[in-house]
Amino acid sequence: MRGDRAIYGIFIIGIVITTILIFYPAYHAVELSFQSRKSLISAPEWVGFANYRLVLQMPEFWEALVRGLIFSSFSIVLQIALGLSLAILLDRKLPGIALVRGLSVLPYLLPTVVVVLTFRWMLDGSTGIFSHLAQAFGYSHIAWADDPTSAMITVVVISVWVWTPFVTLACLAGLQSIPEELYEAARIDGAGAWNRFLHVTLPQLRPVLLVVLLLRTIWMFNKFDIIWLMTRGGPQHATEHLPVLAYRLAFELYDVGKGAAVSTISFLILSGFIVVYFRFFPLDQKE
Amino acid sequence: MNNKSKFQVIGLKDSGVTRRNTLKGAGAFAGSMALGLAAPAVHAQTKVVRFLNGEPSADSVRALRVAAAQYEKITGVQVRIDSVPGGATFQKLQASIQAGQPYDIGTLSFVGDALLLAEEKKIVPLNDLIKKYDWGPRILFPMGGNNYWYPYDYNFCWINYRKDIYGKKGLKAPTNWAGYLQNLSAVTGTGEGQLKSGVVHPLGSDDATNYSAFGYLWANDVRIFDDKWNVVIDAPDMAPLVIEYLDFMADLVKFMPPSPRQSSWANLVGDFQGDIVSHTPGTGRLVDQMNLSMPAKAANVSSFLYPSKSGKKFAVNHGYDGWVVLNTPMAQEAIKFLTWFSDEHFINFLHSSPIHYQPTRLDIYKDPRWLAHPSLETFAEILEMQKQVLSDPNIIIRSIDTEGPEPDVRAGKLFRSFALPEMVQDRLFNGKSSAEALKTAADKIRKVIA
Repeated sequence: MRGDRAIYGIFIIGIVITTILIFYPAYHAVELSFQSRKSLISAPEWVGFANYRLVLQMPEFWEALVRGLIFSSFSIVLQIALGLSLAILLDRKLPGIALVRGLSVLPYLLPTVVVVLTFRWMLDGSTGIFSHLAQAFGYSHIAWADDPTSAMITVVVISVWVWTPFVTLACLAGLQSIPEELYEAARIDGAGAWNRFLHVTLPQLRPVLLVVLLLRTIWMFNKFDIIWLMTRGGPQHATEHLPVLAYRLAFELYDVGKGAAVSTISFLILSGFIVVYFRFFPLDQKE
Repeated sequence: MNNKSKFQVIGLKDSGVTRRNTLKGAGAFAGSMALGLAAPAVHAQTKVVRFLNGEPSADSVRALRVAAAQYEKITGVQVRIDSVPGGATFQKLQASIQAGQPYDIGTLSFVGDALLLAEEKKIVPLNDLIKKYDWGPRILFPMGGNNYWYPYDYNFCWINYRKDIYGKKGLKAPTNWAGYLQNLSAVTGTGEGQLKSGVVHPLGSDDATNYSAFGYLWANDVRIFDDKWNVVIDAPDMAPLVIEYLDFMADLVKFMPPSPRQSSWANLVGDFQGDIVSHTPGTGRLVDQMNLSMPAKAANVSSFLYPSKSGKKFAVNHGYDGWVVLNTPMAQEAIKFLTWFSDEHFINFLHSSPIHYQPTRLDIYKDPRWLAHPSLETFAEILEMQKQVLSDPNIIIRSIDTEGPEPDVRAGKLFRSFALPEMVQDRLFNGKSSAEALKTAADKIRKVIA
């Protein structure tokens, strides 16, 4: 009984801390979306749903939404495809594999700001090593992040480079928990490598992949730092997705209310996605 | 089971986590929270002035800290210096105000931010302190008849160039666009006395572009707003001047390194120091940095003003930084410190980056203490140019964020909307004619400030 109370006490403290650190700021952000104010220190004016109406009428909002979907879709698909492939490669019992596994996690351990600034430096049109390599191979100049299409490709590539190890780690853990007997049975039944992957590996990894897909979707849709540090949403808004638009409205264009409205809509879109996702892919579903 | 605590049952060591201890801990936590909330501001009791510095270079921070230590010795008032990059000060100030622990002195690099703080009565006027001195042009930005900030430097942006390369080619600093393009043509290439590119200009949607790419536009005497905040950049008398500028930029981009939309502040310095370009826009910061790390090369740097097409007018892009005093219980102490500092230590602070921190106070230019810095003799040419900017009516001091009849958040919105950089991008990279690019920009500006 005593122990129960202690556990409940710790649980309540956890809830209080979560409320202070997560729910209150979230509530405050939603509250801001119903106000008109130039900055966080300006006197607020209650405007109801006006910010939402105005934001939904902005072509910039819909363009940013589409860009966010493009950025997150390509990033997630590539991260999962590459991450799963790497996990399968790293699941071999080869000499030195532990070292290779350790090294493969490195991109995930580096701070994003270090990664992005290093990429910026490597892709610099004047001094970047990739620019020099391109010239060595006879290309006069490659516009890495200098035109709208290549800028989007660049931020997708960087996000894949940073986050693929997370997928690899999760899938590797999943692969190592698959009983060897299943593969043996499949071999006895005459299944080749492709069929073993399709009918043993993938179904067994399904719960891991579903969680990875969910987490990656939430994180990539909200991903701010890579794009902000690499392109600041440019060139000419080509990589400006909803988080960047929200930041620009709130902190650069003196419209905190509209910025908060964009954030709240973004939150609602993600919440809707999560509900639909769990409806179609319940995590407790057994094969 | 009954003899075991629940912790042992679930496999944890019974390390003294009991209900009594938990309650004690929670009580202590709640008590300390309540005391903390009820306590008056600490700095009101101990006379601490909190100073948010926006100049994080080691020498500048050291100059402020030395002053603070001396002030504490004399008065007993502690001045605590926190340093962040200049671009982060306004957000940090807002956060401190929201958290109920505002700084007492803050640094701002944009007059629109000072206006916002003044409108909300978050900063106090510094009229008596400002009245003590004579000031250079276009720097005080009074608001409602009050002076809310102490501008400590001009950060004018001009064109730095390699005078050793000019010497080899027998060139002189250009006075108009045609001459500038001719010079660039002569010094760009792979031959003797040439560098790979001519001039680096960031042309993305960012502050570096806003700051460094429009000096030529100002030199052509283009205004964006009239005295009533009407957008006039596409008016019949302005449009031809803007179109000339855009056509000139289309010529200029041929002398730039690849990927100008990706160029940043770092390229302005790095490409020049790395012998990639012979010209770069910038302030005296470049010279100060080079003088510290590569003095021989720094001695080959000189500067000229942004020329106009006709050569009759010149321009610098306006830049400035200033200190504000926040409306806190320590505001009077903060003003006392600033008053003492501006007489006793201000020149030491300016000397921490002597060419970059161009004085805003006219008395400084005659002060032997300031003139004693060796850099001011080494770069006497640049110093003369700096002084000329303050007095010559043919030199225009203008910038996007100071456009308009008075300080106003509309100029700030224009700055952050990047409408002008996008106008240049439309002309240079998106296949629009200069007239089309101008029309798009003017429409956007009207929308942004509406």
